[in-house]
Formats: sequence, structure tokens, C-alpha cells
Amino acid sequence: MTLYLLRRLGSLLVLLLVMTAIVYGIFYAIPADPAVLVCGKGCDGGRLASIHHELGLDQPITAQYWHFLEGLIVGRDYSSGPDVSHCAAPCLGYSFQTDLPVLSLIAQRLPVSLSLTTGALVLWTVTGVALGLVSALRERRLTDRLVTVFVLGGLGTPVFVSGLLLLMVFCGWLKWLDFPVYVPLTEDPVGWARNLILPWLTLTILQSAIFTRLTRTGMLETLSEDHIRTFRAYGLPERRVIGRHALRGALTPLISINAVEFGAVLVNAMLTETLFGLPGIGQLIVQSSNNVDLPVVAGLTLTAGLAVVLANTAADLLYAAVDRRVVLT
Amino acid sequence: MMRRVPALLTATTLLAAATACSGGGSASSSAGTAFDPKSCQGGTLYILNQTSATDEHFDPARIYTSGGGAVPSLVFRTLTTRKRVPGQAGTTVAPDLATDTGTPSDDARTWTYHLRDGLKFEDGTPITAKDVKWGVERSFAPELSGGIPYLRDWLVGGTDYKGPYKGRELDSIQTPDDKTIVFKLRKPEGDFPYVATATQFTPVPKAKDGGTAYERHPISSGPYKVQTHVQDKSLTLVRNPNWSRTVDDQRLACPDRIEATYGLSAAVINQRLSTGAGKDADAVTTDTDLSPAELARISTDPTLKKRTVRGQFGYTNFIAFNTKVKPFDDVRVREAISYAVNRQAVVNAVGGSSLAKPATTFLPDQAAFGYQPYDAFPAGPTGNPAKAKELLAQAGHSNLTITLAHRNNDASQDGPAVATAVQEALKQAGVTVKLQAYDQASYRSVQTKPSTEPGIFLAGWGADWPTGGPFLAPIFDGRQILQDGGNYNFAQYDDPKVNAEFDAINKISDPLQARPRWGALDAELGRQALTVPLFHPVYLRLYGKNVKNTYLDEWRGSYDVAMVSVK
Repeated sequence: MTLYLLRRLGSLLVLLLVMTAIVYGIFYAIPADPAVLVCGKGCDGGRLASIHHELGLDQPITAQYWHFLEGLIVGRDYSSGPDVSHCAAPCLGYSFQTDLPVLSLIAQRLPVSLSLTTGALVLWTVTGVALGLVSALRERRLTDRLVTVFVLGGLGTPVFVSGLLLLMVFCGWLKWLDFPVYVPLTEDPVGWARNLILPWLTLTILQSAIFTRLTRTGMLETLSEDHIRTFRAYGLPERRVIGRHALRGALTPLISINAVEFGAVLVNAMLTETLFGLPGIGQLIVQSSNNVDLPVVAGLTLTAGLAVVLANTAADLLYAAVDRRVVLT
Repeated sequence: MMRRVPALLTATTLLAAATACSGGGSASSSAGTAFDPKSCQGGTLYILNQTSATDEHFDPARIYTSGGGAVPSLVFRTLTTRKRVPGQAGTTVAPDLATDTGTPSDDARTWTYHLRDGLKFEDGTPITAKDVKWGVERSFAPELSGGIPYLRDWLVGGTDYKGPYKGRELDSIQTPDDKTIVFKLRKPEGDFPYVATATQFTPVPKAKDGGTAYERHPISSGPYKVQTHVQDKSLTLVRNPNWSRTVDDQRLACPDRIEATYGLSAAVINQRLSTGAGKDADAVTTDTDLSPAELARISTDPTLKKRTVRGQFGYTNFIAFNTKVKPFDDVRVREAISYAVNRQAVVNAVGGSSLAKPATTFLPDQAAFGYQPYDAFPAGPTGNPAKAKELLAQAGHSNLTITLAHRNNDASQDGPAVATAVQEALKQAGVTVKLQAYDQASYRSVQTKPSTEPGIFLAGWGADWPTGGPFLAPIFDGRQILQDGGNYNFAQYDDPKVNAEFDAINKISDPLQARPRWGALDAELGRQALTVPLFHPVYLRLYGKNVKNTYLDEWRGSYDVAMVSVK
């Protein structure tokens, strides 16, 4: 297990190094100059050169990348006008656009994204498993057909369509809910949940469709296996056969699916945040990419890469815990 | 990323179309008592925006505004400001911190201002001329980038000045006493009072200046001070106890409190304003206009129609030529394209005549700019492909193929919709147009650097203040060609006679005298086919049903948040 974790850590470092190097490479290749955006309209050559220098853009891209890594390990100094401020390690630098420390920008927005994804994850797992189970047990009947329609609808509807429809119906027409505004969990737990219901539902419609389909397939497959037939032959109650034996076999793959789907969830969360105006990581990705804000894009790449690797590691560990046949090496 | 924008645009259209089916529903007209400036104070005004109402930095040195902006002007007073009245008078300058709009001398090379009595910062400290000087000087610091470029060019010694933080003052700004400030300019600038409306002319107390950290709590000189501000998320303003209407006759500042929320999508903002539920009845937006689909719904709903301000910010969308690139160095090719363009199709592409007016002049069709109607290449609303073919034949181009660069989305009306309309019109004239799309950030970098500038591309230009100078000079004054980036003289046009005319008009400090000269210069430049003016956009903006005094601010083409009331 220790060897496994060490190996994972090693590959994580290499992966993050490669990912950030790619971000710097792309940044170098595109024609956009962030200094032009920072400088504003009618910026003359001298001013532009000063801003290039201030942002470190007058250095070769390799040197810029090196300084980025240096900041991560030992920290960096930045001029703030009258003073020089020190950004302690792990320093992800300062945003070109807002001058705010990238680490604090991410830290500020992380709770919003975590609130969105965690709540939605619970919802889509519960809904997906329940619907998949019902669908499998009522195979080829009306319920199964209705669930299949839901699955097809969910899979075929992008979040920016389902989200808008939910907004129109619940906030515009029925007025059961106010238009969502993010309220921190620590300030008002009820308000937090009430404002996140529609974003959660938006992500749930898509993700639970995937889960429903997988649970249904997994259940049908497990129910046709020999050991289930044996349990039934021994006269085990059907509820116990389904709940304890069949479901366990069918659900194990869902753990890894959640990890594999994590990247896609991030993309859908990004669209959901943009649509609902939730000030999370996804919204920051959109803003910083539009502004060629390299330090923020690089910082977010590191964060997203780290999150994906951690999600996969957690899935592997869970998988091993649930299925004793799996040994981590 | 490339796929996101069309996806969201589609979504915006979908919402608008779907709500159009709903027939609007709950909206009602502005009700309650009539607006009275004497008793309008009270309540909370909500601002629903896509982006921050204070740019990326809530620092007066770093904000780029026209006339001081909407929200910045609530916190930052300036030497002069836009006159807060309805109608054409709203395009003129009024004194703000100063007692008048400035006294010119030495052919408008020197401008002197005297501060009013009783001016105070939010902490009660008196505002002095030295605070205004410090505010202007710090806008030269490279760390505080983003503000207007004019001062670097205009003030004596401005080109090499790097701000006050290294202990160096800018000698061309003098403060003989606490109430007087004098600006020495490199050349005559009759428009100086207009520039003095910019937030760079806000007083900043040196003792409170933390450079880039100042934006965390900028010190107010206006009717409101910052209570909380989270960049790109939210802003809460509360009353500044050291401001009163007795020392400020340009802002009514009716609401007691202003709460802004950023990061909302355009479709959601317009849906919330039209539904007007709860707090949204007291809401406005400072950055979201109605889309063509939303407009269709508004036009069929009289109550919503009443809650719309229709205005025009001085802006022209045009086709830009780089005359250093073949075949656009040949005036006959440029003229041919001018004749071939179908402006009706272009206007339709951006949402129809409610959202755009076809343009044959580079100056916007507003008196303040010096507008004089002309059409150098009369071809009717749909173009004259036959005339275009004739000119191309004279130029020796029988099968011309060109590449038209444009932005990859239609949000700024210089994207695929307009590009396709131009492509189709030029096809009628026998010109094959290939389209080349650029992403948001790359587009500006590419077009403003002569070495990477495309031969022909879609562009737009808005005025920093409503006179002909800032509209024409950056585009056509040959001395403003910038090789390293930030260049807006796209044609790279440098004619000493035209440059001399710019200098001559800049000496005129009376805008009424300058106007006919700007109009004549525009017509002269138009004949050279350096650009093809396409349209002047029209903006329509909704406001909440409890919001009052939403008259059209002619300077900025929308309502003025310093004047609205929710009581």
C-alpha cells in the first residue's frame, strides 16, 4: 500500500510538471499578448514594455516557467508600487489581470465549486442508483421504458439548456425559488442549500442519467450470474438477494466511474457555474482563459490535475476496500 | 473553450425565445409615487452584472471610463464630470471637485483648476490639490496599468515619467496652494476638461496609498464608500457621511445602499429584471443590453417596453484596412469594397434596425461629435456590386480572393454574423472572401500590432468622451501609429496635412466651434476609403419596476446610476 501511494505521488508530480509545461507551451504559441489587455486602450510602446517587464513577459518562456516552479518551492518577490511584497511558497504567483495572489483566488472560490459538486454528487448517485435499480427490476416494463426516456433526455441535454429550463420554470414562472445567489454554508446553511438546489439538479440530470444506465446494466448482469441463482435456490429472501448481494456487485464499478467522470464533471460544473453566476473555480477558468491570465490558468491546471489524480487514487483505495480481490501494488 | 461561447449564446437565445412564448407574465410598470429629487433618498439599489462594474481593479488610476463611468463615479469624484441632465446638454462637461471646467491659457497648453470649499474624504480629511496631483501621478506607475493613455502623451514629461513611488514628482502638475492645481501640456488640448472627467483625476491621499493594494479599500470622495468588495463577485457601497449635496450638485445619490452582484449570465440578468421578483424590482444593470431575441419579447409587452432605456454610446463598427498589405494599398480596391458592402444585411446580422443604424460616416451620428452626414461611396442600403466590379477591373483584379479577419463570437458585433454578411456582399462583386476567426484575447493583440495586423478585418471604435478628437485622432493621426502594440491607426495612415488639422482643432477650447471642423475632417478622411463604416450600435437596457428617474444619459447612452432612485 505504501509503495502504491509513493508511486502515485511520484507520477502525480511528473503529471503536474508536464501539465503546467504544456500550459506554458500553449501560452507561448498563441498570438495573444496579456500585456496588451492589461495595458488598456491606446497603450504606447514604452508603457507596454514596462508592463512586459512588470509581468516578467520580457523573459524567455523557459525562464518564466522556471520562475513559476521556483515560486512553488521557495516563493517569490513582487513589486506592488511603493513596496515589494513576498509571496511565500507554495506561490502560484499573482493574477495578471487583478494582481491578486492566485492561491487565494483559488482558495476563495474552492468552497463554491465543492458545494456545487459535492451536493450534486450525492444527488446524482442516489437518484442514478435508485432509478437504475427500479429499471433493472422492472425490465422491459413501462417503468423501465420511462426511465430509459429520462436517461436519453438527460444524456442528450447539455447543462446550459437544462439549467436555463429549470431557471425559467422555478424562478421565472412558478416563482417557487429566487434566482440563485451563492450563500456560504457557514453563513446560512438553509440559504446555501436553497440557492444550490437548481445548480445541483442541473448537474444531477446529466450525471444521474449516466449512473442510471450503468446501475441498470450492472444489476441485470449481476442478477444473471450463478451465485445469485444459488442464493435464490437456497430460498434467500429476494430483498436480501437484491440489497445485499446483487447491488453490491453492481455498484462497485460506479466507484471508478465517478473517478473517471471527474474530468467531465469539472467541465459541466464550469458551465453550470457560468450559467448560474456561481463564483467558483469554473467561472474563474472561463475568465482567466479569456484574459490570457497565465498565472491563474497555470494555477487552476495544477489544482484540477491534483483533484483528478486524488479522485482516482481515492477511487482505487475505495475499490480495494469494497472488493477484497483487488490488491494495490 | 472555443465551443463554449456559441453554446452559451445558443442558450441565451433559447431562454429569450422561450420566455417570449410565456408572454412576459408578471412584469408591471413603474408604480408608486412620482420621482422627487428632494425626497428620493432611501432604499437599496441592486446591480446585476456579467462583469465587474469597476473593471479588474477598483483603483481610480486603473479604471478606464467614459465620463467617470457608472459605479466608479459613485465613489470617485473628479475635477470635472459629465453634466447629469437629460438631453444633448448631457454630452457637456460640468465642474465636479473644481469650481469650473478649467481655465485655459497659452493656447490651451496650460489648464488651471481651483477646488471647491468643504471637500472631504470619507474619513473627514480635507481634499487638497496635492491629493489630486498624487492621484494623477500614480496613474503613471507601471504597476498601476490600465487607465487612459492621454496624460502620458499630453503632460510635459509624461512620456518618461514612471510614477511617484520612486520619489520623483511630475513637474508639469503644479499645486501653488491647497486649492489650486495647474497642468502644463506638451501641446494645445482644447478637450482637457473632458479628460478631467476620468477617474485618474480623483484625489488619492498619499498616506493611504498602498500601490496595487490601494484597491482593497479605495478612499471615497463621492457619495458612497466601499463596505465590502470581492473582485469579480460582489460590491457593497454605503453612504459616505462626509459627502453631501451641498458640495456636489452633479449626483443625486438617492439609494442609501448599493449592492452589486457580478458573474451572472446575460440571459439570467434580463430574465431577472423583466420578472422583477423581490429585490430584482429595485435592480439595474450597468453592462447588459437586450439581445435581438429578448428584444422581440420586449416589443410585444408594453409594460416591459416602458422599462427600457434606448440609447447610443458614440461607437462605430467598421471594416478596417491595413494599407501596408496588398491589395489594400490600392485605393480602388478599398473603394470597391466600400461600394460592395450591403449595410442592410450587416444591420440585420446584428439584430435589425432596433439595435443598429447603418453608417456611412466614421463619426457617430450625434451632434456632440461634430457629425455631418456624408456618403463618400453612395451605393444605397444594399450596395452596388456593379460599381465595385468596375473599380476592381480598373485595378486589375478580375478574380480577387481576400481573407477577412474577425472575432470568433458575436458579442462585440465583430464576429461571424457580420463577417458572413460582408462575405456574401463581396461575392456579388466577384470577390472571394475567406474568413479567419480569432479568439477574444488574440484578436486585440493581433490587430493592434502592425507586424501582425491582418489586411482587412472587422473592428469597432468608441469615444472616450463625446467630441470628434478622441474619435478620429487615435485612428487617423499618423503620429499615433505604435509599432510595438496598442496601435489603433489600423490603416497606418500618416498625412502631415491631416496631422496639422488635428493640432489646429485641438487648440479650440470651445466645443461648439470645434464641432464643424471635426465633421469636415471626418468627411475628408472618408473620401480616402481608409475604413468602411458599417453601423452605429444602439443599446437597449432594462431596469427594475421600482427604479425611477432612469432618463437617458446622452454621454453614455444609458441610465445614470448616480441619478436613479428606488424609493
